[in-house]
Amino acid sequence: MSLIEVNHLYKEFQVAKRQAGLWGALRSLLRREYLTKTAVRDVSFAVNQGEMVGYVGPNGAGKSTTIKMLTGILVPTSGEIRVNNLIPYKERQKNARQIGVVFGQRTQLWWDLPTIESFELLKQVFQIPDHRYKQNMATFADILGLDEFLNTPVRQLSLGQRMRADIAASLLHDPLILFLDEPTIGLDVLAKERMRQFITEINRERGVTVILTTHDMSDIEKLCRRMILIDNGQVMYDGELVLIKDLFGKERVLIVDLEGETDSFSVAGAQLVKEEGNRKWLRFNRELTTASQLINRISEKYEIKDLTIKDTEIEEMIRHIYEKGLAVYEMNSCRIENNKF
Amino acid sequence: MVSIMRGIGLYSYMVGASIRAQLQYRYAFVMNILGWAMTYAGTAVTMWVLLYSFGALDGWIFWELIFLFALAVLSWGVCMIFFFHFRSLDQYIVNGTFDRFLVRPIHPFFHFMAMKFDVGAFGQFLFSIAAVGLAYSNLHLHWTWQWLVFLGAVIGGALIQGGLLVAISSVAFWTTRSERLYWVIMWPLKSLMNYPLSIYPRLVQLLVVFILPFAFVNYLPALILLGKTGRVFAPFWGALSPLVGAIFFALCFRFWMLGLDRYKSAGS
Amino acid sequence: MYWEFSRKSFQRSAAYRFDVWTRIAGNIMFLFMWGFIWYALYYGKETVGGVSFQAMLGYIMISQALQGIHGAGAQLWEIQERVRTGDIAMEMLRPYDYTTRMLFSDLGSIFFYFITAVLPLYTVLFLVLKPSVSLTLAQMGLFIVSAVLGFLIRFCIEMTFGLFTFWLIETGGVEDVFYFSISLFSGSLVPLWFFPGWLEQVAHYLPFQAIFFVPNSIFVGQLKGPDIFNALLGQAIWLLLCFVILRLVWHRASMKIVIQGG
Ligand SMILES: Nc1ncnc2c1ncn2[C@@H]1O[C@H](COP(=O)(O)OP(=O)(O)OP(=O)(O)O)[C@@H](O)[C@H]1O
Ligand SMILES: [Mg+2]
Repeated sequence: MSLIEVNHLYKEFQVAKRQAGLWGALRSLLRREYLTKTAVRDVSFAVNQGEMVGYVGPNGAGKSTTIKMLTGILVPTSGEIRVNNLIPYKERQKNARQIGVVFGQRTQLWWDLPTIESFELLKQVFQIPDHRYKQNMATFADILGLDEFLNTPVRQLSLGQRMRADIAASLLHDPLILFLDEPTIGLDVLAKERMRQFITEINRERGVTVILTTHDMSDIEKLCRRMILIDNGQVMYDGELVLIKDLFGKERVLIVDLEGETDSFSVAGAQLVKEEGNRKWLRFNRELTTASQLINRISEKYEIKDLTIKDTEIEEMIRHIYEKGLAVYEMNSCRIENNKF
Repeated sequence: MVSIMRGIGLYSYMVGASIRAQLQYRYAFVMNILGWAMTYAGTAVTMWVLLYSFGALDGWIFWELIFLFALAVLSWGVCMIFFFHFRSLDQYIVNGTFDRFLVRPIHPFFHFMAMKFDVGAFGQFLFSIAAVGLAYSNLHLHWTWQWLVFLGAVIGGALIQGGLLVAISSVAFWTTRSERLYWVIMWPLKSLMNYPLSIYPRLVQLLVVFILPFAFVNYLPALILLGKTGRVFAPFWGALSPLVGAIFFALCFRFWMLGLDRYKSAGS
Repeated sequence: MYWEFSRKSFQRSAAYRFDVWTRIAGNIMFLFMWGFIWYALYYGKETVGGVSFQAMLGYIMISQALQGIHGAGAQLWEIQERVRTGDIAMEMLRPYDYTTRMLFSDLGSIFFYFITAVLPLYTVLFLVLKPSVSLTLAQMGLFIVSAVLGFLIRFCIEMTFGLFTFWLIETGGVEDVFYFSISLFSGSLVPLWFFPGWLEQVAHYLPFQAIFFVPNSIFVGQLKGPDIFNALLGQAIWLLLCFVILRLVWHRASMKIVIQGG
């Protein structure tokens, strides 16, 4: 029995169709037409106690919607969810006790109050026993360095401080599961690193199961063994991160800015995937060509003004999966194996 | 029972935090209170000017009118303390900060209600208690059992006005905007009730007795309390304020919960 | 060039027509409320202080219509908000005069509100309710002049009050003084002639009566002949004074922005 089980989950939204012009606006007052937008489509997965899962996908993929259903904020259109044997939307308040949630985009703390007061309020709301509260506060203050801003009102905190406060707040009541929706959004490199360390520690020391969404692949690389890739509401990949990195990690993209006439540009060993004037995107396989070889080849014919090398991005991965016909069930099979250990 | 005690404890705790938050802006805190008191005093002055040349409005002399007005302000003050911030529910829904009320182990309505304890309402108390006091002595009233009716009117009035605030706020669950409705429904209705109901046409009277029962906020109780005979409805109706308030509030609460259900299935 | 701002805000109002409708709904409700109040006050009386109910009805109708028009412009709280958020400081950098730009923006939204809501609705109301207004064409012209002057005076005062936000951390009190004065001393609800003598004197020495009371009185024929011209002259002087004060305050505010960054 897994801690979180999701079976054939769907979420549809009715979106009012906008009609153009004055006449359209008048007509829509009387009778609105709706479009059904499927944000989450037949999503199934299971997460075991103690796992740390990265839930990734491009903008609008349905990540936040899934998290909201798992936390009981949204009611699914169909499908089954069980979180530690509770159905979140039916037993929302009970579920709230066993989960911690952070929405990176918006704080859940009391805007006008000193940060410490928000914690005290949560202590009351979650009925956290005194000693537990003190212990937790001491630990979090230590690792996250909360002390420097505990008496500052939340509205005056910097983004990084606020995020630290938010994540501490979500863990005060010792939840079994932690949902993090973009916990590193807007943070600088150092703050990101700190956040990652904290999450790792919480997962390792307390055995808290973590599900996190992010647009930063390095978050996933540093934190998660397992990744669920979602696009258009559908699961595209679910399995070990290592596997997918083997599949795509070989590929890199070299972006070069060239000088002069470059209309019929091409270079051996790389594929031109995109161009904007004198800026070219070149995909190459790391095992067949090295970046320096490629750069040498280009500089023989052109003058290079600037260059960057990039790892494959999520969007790119998804495109690959489409192109190479990597079927989802194939991935599911490897997931089941994963779950055996 | 235990949960009620816990609820009260939690509410007072959160209220304390809310008051501390408002106290951070000390000057604003005082100005807010004085501002409200002054606004009402301004309306009272307008009433006085209005009656200066005319003597009475449909048989209501100045102090009676002030009493009618102050009674409404008093229960509005009580209502504001608990429910005024429901006006900004739409803000929470639009920025998505409403979600937080759904990931906590307490009832979202209760949680939202306990979010703020509007101390600006002390301005209402400042004005209305002074005004009721002055009216009481100027009209040579001597209440005995009427104090009960008075108390009932304040509680009932707070529930009726709070109920409407709650109901209006819940519209935001469907439309994400409700602030305008406040200005089109609540504000005119409240202003209307500052003057005796008998001057308005039958349709309005029926509306504020049977549909949006604002007549029970001040007009009907004032008939009993001032010993007037109502041309429209029998004065004893005014004693029913708390009952009407409880029923109306319960209905509005149901409506809010309906809106919450819709929010949970449709999102913001 | 400033007309461009008017055009823009006209289009904006058109885009938010729902707001316009709700505002006019509120406006009409208040008209009815005051109609019934005055009806009840007049009950059983022919005239009070030489004014008939029919004339009074005309007074509150035109007053409510004008208030509706005034309300379509930027409100005090909006100006305060712009000061607080630093919007005004940003606009200082642009090559135009801020207060003039605000005026022209207001004109745009007011024009939209006027032709789509106030004019048609109040035309119908005047035809149906038939208050006694005996207007000659000349009086009508003078009324319009007076109403425009009144509008400009209110604009100057409101802007000035709004700019006080630069110096005050909290504006609660300022707002309340403003709204109280506008509602009582402008004669928007109760005409000055019903005021107790001493209060009427006080009101006459304040600029607020020039906003609604003067145009309303011309409209219902309470001001006649040379009195009209005196009143108009009074309005003009008030306008000049309020304008000078506004420029002064604005000048100070701009200095403050330049020196202290707002
Ligand atoms: N309340 C709603 N009503 C209508 N459509 C919605 C609603 N919430 C989300 N959607 C739509 O559902 C889809 C999934 O949205 P969701 O917020 O889950 O994406 P996401 O994966 O979290 O994206 P991002 O990375 O940008 O946060 C989007 O197309 C979005 O427009
Ligand atoms: Mg999201």
